[in-house]
Amino acid sequence: MSIEVRNVAKQFDGFTALHDVSLKVEPGELLALLGPSGSGKTTLLRIIAGLDFPTGGRVFFNGEDAGHRHVGARGVGFVFQHYALFRHMTVLDNVAFGLRVKPRQQRLPRAEIVERAMRLLQLVQLDAFAKRYPGQLSGGQRQRVALARALAIEPRVLLLDEPFGALDAKVRKELRRWLRRLHDEMQLTSVFVTHDQEEALELADRVVVMSNGRIEQIGSPTEIYDRPASSFVYEFLGDVNKLPVTVESREAIVWSRRFPVGDDMPEEGVASAYVRPEDVEVSATAQPGSVPAAVSHISALGPIVRLELDLEGQGQPIEAELTRRRWHELDIKRGQHVWLSTNRARIFIDQPR
Amino acid sequence: MAAQALPTAGLAATRQPRVIPGLGLSLGFTLFYLALVVLIPLAGLFLHAGRLGPSEIWRIATDARVVASLRLSFGTAIGAALFNLVMGTLTAWVLVRYEFPGRRLLDAIVDLPFALPTAVAGIALTSLYAPNGWLGQYLDPLGIKVAYTPLGIVIALVFVGLPFVVRTVQPVLQDLDLEVEEAAATLGATRTQAIVKVVVPSLLPAAVTGMALAFARAVGEYGSVIFIAGNLPYVSEIAPLLIRIQLEEYNYAGATAIAAIMLVISFALLLVINLLQAWSRRRITGG
Repeated sequence: MSIEVRNVAKQFDGFTALHDVSLKVEPGELLALLGPSGSGKTTLLRIIAGLDFPTGGRVFFNGEDAGHRHVGARGVGFVFQHYALFRHMTVLDNVAFGLRVKPRQQRLPRAEIVERAMRLLQLVQLDAFAKRYPGQLSGGQRQRVALARALAIEPRVLLLDEPFGALDAKVRKELRRWLRRLHDEMQLTSVFVTHDQEEALELADRVVVMSNGRIEQIGSPTEIYDRPASSFVYEFLGDVNKLPVTVESREAIVWSRRFPVGDDMPEEGVASAYVRPEDVEVSATAQPGSVPAAVSHISALGPIVRLELDLEGQGQPIEAELTRRRWHELDIKRGQHVWLSTNRARIFIDQPR
Repeated sequence: MAAQALPTAGLAATRQPRVIPGLGLSLGFTLFYLALVVLIPLAGLFLHAGRLGPSEIWRIATDARVVASLRLSFGTAIGAALFNLVMGTLTAWVLVRYEFPGRRLLDAIVDLPFALPTAVAGIALTSLYAPNGWLGQYLDPLGIKVAYTPLGIVIALVFVGLPFVVRTVQPVLQDLDLEVEEAAATLGATRTQAIVKVVVPSLLPAAVTGMALAFARAVGEYGSVIFIAGNLPYVSEIAPLLIRIQLEEYNYAGATAIAAIMLVISFALLLVINLLQAWSRRRITGG
């Protein structure tokens, strides 16, 4: 099922949570809404679900206006950040809830409801816990119950609000993979909200980056990471070095190398250059287009070695990432003088704040 | 070391240092205090009643006037508590869930029955519901008599018991996550189904606690009831009043006997309510 959000706006008294947002989710797609807290991503998700109502614009399901349709009639599975399980019901009763509240003529026979709920519990590997209460489960198990419960009504759309936000790192990673598999197997159209850029980039087919109630960029994880559309996206996705530069005749100089500014930028002004740590080239000797720097800190945990470098006349230290092999080749020690260069930098004119 | 420590492990466990110290002192003090304030007076009551001997107690317990008064006292108290269970929960719902002008004032009014001297409440209710009172004059032609009947007693008991249910349900309702109701809605539940299957079961333990408190208060209520009840023997004479009448006749043994009977019945009823609650709590926490 496709979802289209057209010019949706949402105002809470005196505060605008969403400004004129438009977005299309293709059938079978796994889409991430990524942004810091207060960016409007959860509000957008709730509007799609029908839990909140937009003050402007419309939501279409398969080209059909869903505005007048009640939450329960939208066929949407919603997974809440804090699970929202029914504490007084067993795990099985939680999962069966959606099947039991159907109008009598659509309702399955009792035994069949139990059977189907049990099958879903097997799917989330919790069939052994059917008779337990949510209070007796761990966070990850509760989240899986919440998922099974949402899937019980056979939704065509699955919406997840920070689904792994409250879980520890290891469980989060497992559940992520598991969700991806489930999404593909059940041929769902899924939208999930997250503030974790790693989660969005790893899991989603496409990522929507949001900030202050607006969409900053929509694209595949690689597009978003490699070609951020704005300084906000650059700073929000991964680590980045932000260097003050001056633009003159559509060019800026970063570490003695010239980089053109984008076509939509003014010809001159104060700007910032963005260089990802992995795009910082470190060499032991002077190369054309490189600048001298001193190594102030080395953190050699895992396969990637992070360096902190002090550049002359620059307040902020520069971060660089090297592979462990390259680090051994260069044989860099703390305090040593090295040479920096880059061939990838993006220039954005500073927005007056 | 380990081998030596093993046999005394059971003993040692009770002597382990605790995170919260002072169990011995605080428990001892609490027991002493409870004994002084609750147990000794009650034991005195039973001791006094016990002097009558079993046959005499049985005679008092089965005396028609005593039976009628006990039935009236407990019947009206249970009726009022059940009424408060429903209306108190509804009141708490309105106070928590809706924003409206005057909400805080309404919230404060709920406590008035706590603060008002019960005799004042009794006199006010009597003058309202008397056949020539503000409300009574409209009810009387319809054949509904409130003042000087068991119905009047129920109204007085509803009045004094109202805050209990409201105040116990309110915090639970405040903590009840709206998301749970939203989850029910996304799963296709109608509003009624969400209330009946999700909200009410979550509130039930608190509401039952409130009802138990309202009931306990109602059984012992005296001040507000005697004005509106009319106090006709066999019809609208409550057990506490009967005790007082016995006292005025210097029949101390008879008075204590009725009191002891009341106490036993109250205790049994509260025990049942508590067991019910423990059962429903266990279902929620799954413990």
